Amino acid sequence: MANQVTQEPKRSLSLDGWAVGIALLLAALVKLGALKHVGW
Amino acid sequence: MASTTTVLRAEPIQLPRKFLAMLPGIGLLTIVGLGGKVLEKWIATYTKAHHLVVPNIEYVLWAILIGLLISNTIGVAEVFKPGISTYEFWLKTGIVLLGARFLLADVLKLGAVSLALVLIELILSIGFMTLLGRIFGLSPKLTSLLAVGSSICGVSAIIATKGAIEADDEDASFAIAAILALGALALFTFPPIGHWLGMSDRIYGLWAGTGVDNTAEAVAAGALYSDAAAKIAVLAKTTRNAMIGFVVLGYALYWAAREGRQAVGNKAAFLWQKFPKFVLGFLLISLLASLSIFNKDQVNNLANLSKWAFLLTFAGVGLRINFKEMKKQGLRPFIVGALGEVVIAAITLGLVLGASKLVKL
Repeated sequence: MANQVTQEPKRSLSLDGWAVGIALLLAALVKLGALKHVGW
Repeated sequence: MASTTTVLRAEPIQLPRKFLAMLPGIGLLTIVGLGGKVLEKWIATYTKAHHLVVPNIEYVLWAILIGLLISNTIGVAEVFKPGISTYEFWLKTGIVLLGARFLLADVLKLGAVSLALVLIELILSIGFMTLLGRIFGLSPKLTSLLAVGSSICGVSAIIATKGAIEADDEDASFAIAAILALGALALFTFPPIGHWLGMSDRIYGLWAGTGVDNTAEAVAAGALYSDAAAKIAVLAKTTRNAMIGFVVLGYALYWAAREGRQAVGNKAAFLWQKFPKFVLGFLLISLLASLSIFNKDQVNNLANLSKWAFLLTFAGVGLRINFKEMKKQGLRPFIVGALGEVVIAAITLGLVLGASKLVKL
């Protein structure tokens, strides 16, 4: 019985995934009060 | 009986190395963006102190101009390129954060108006670009790429379609160069036309979002007019981006049938794969804001974070435009693109002005 092993590249997060993830993280930090007075 | 075992190939050192390679370019984006902001403030202070009447040039334009100057004089060294290409990440992060400024009801109302305009614009611009491509004798695949780039969302739509219709690299770079050059041109033409026609922020924003091709340039064209116009331009452009899957699927099916290849298997999976997921993030933040999860100060903080993200995007817009490289691509795709853009800008202007008479915007 031949046991064939194939390798599949590990799935990485897409650009959109990173953008949404970081934006949600920033929103959570703002909500929790860790990011206050963001100036412009 | 043979059994197949699939193992995931771990790439533990890829991410930190990739991240480190981006740092110089992100630093350059920050310096150029801040340079634009400082220049705007400095000129405003100087002209006020010397009682000079000079129109205020926003940081957006300064950041783009500084970037353009660097890219077209000393050039951008290789070490900065990975970081500069993150401009699209900052753009998408900025758009998602800007969702906090929208109530979902507003998104649905303006989104519905945008969607109706986008659908009409899509049909007219794809038809017109296809006709122009034929008249100028461009290759059919290059024509398809230019039509998708000018009707949907510039570079990302061209890249998505290139894979789906199996176009070659040369056609794709022709189309990308034309769309980028014309996007840069829109930055200098849309705001003066808007002021000349006395357009309101909302009407102008809708025009910039439906008329300017590439998302970064559409947001910049809006921001050059006003913050309120930028907000509406983002919403209109996001609606347009959401249509990408349908148009790419249509082209994929057309080219597969024309070349006798196997058509797209699972259409729902194809649509989901091409759908810009950041739109969902934008809607989620907008939903949270509509549910009053954030108070007024927190909404302001999120909007300011979005402005910082856009600042890096605008710096990237200037830094990636290289006129010498564009010239190498030849004049014909550029002429087709330019003619198409002028007509599409006029069509979208007519559509937006018409819609503003029918619906209270």
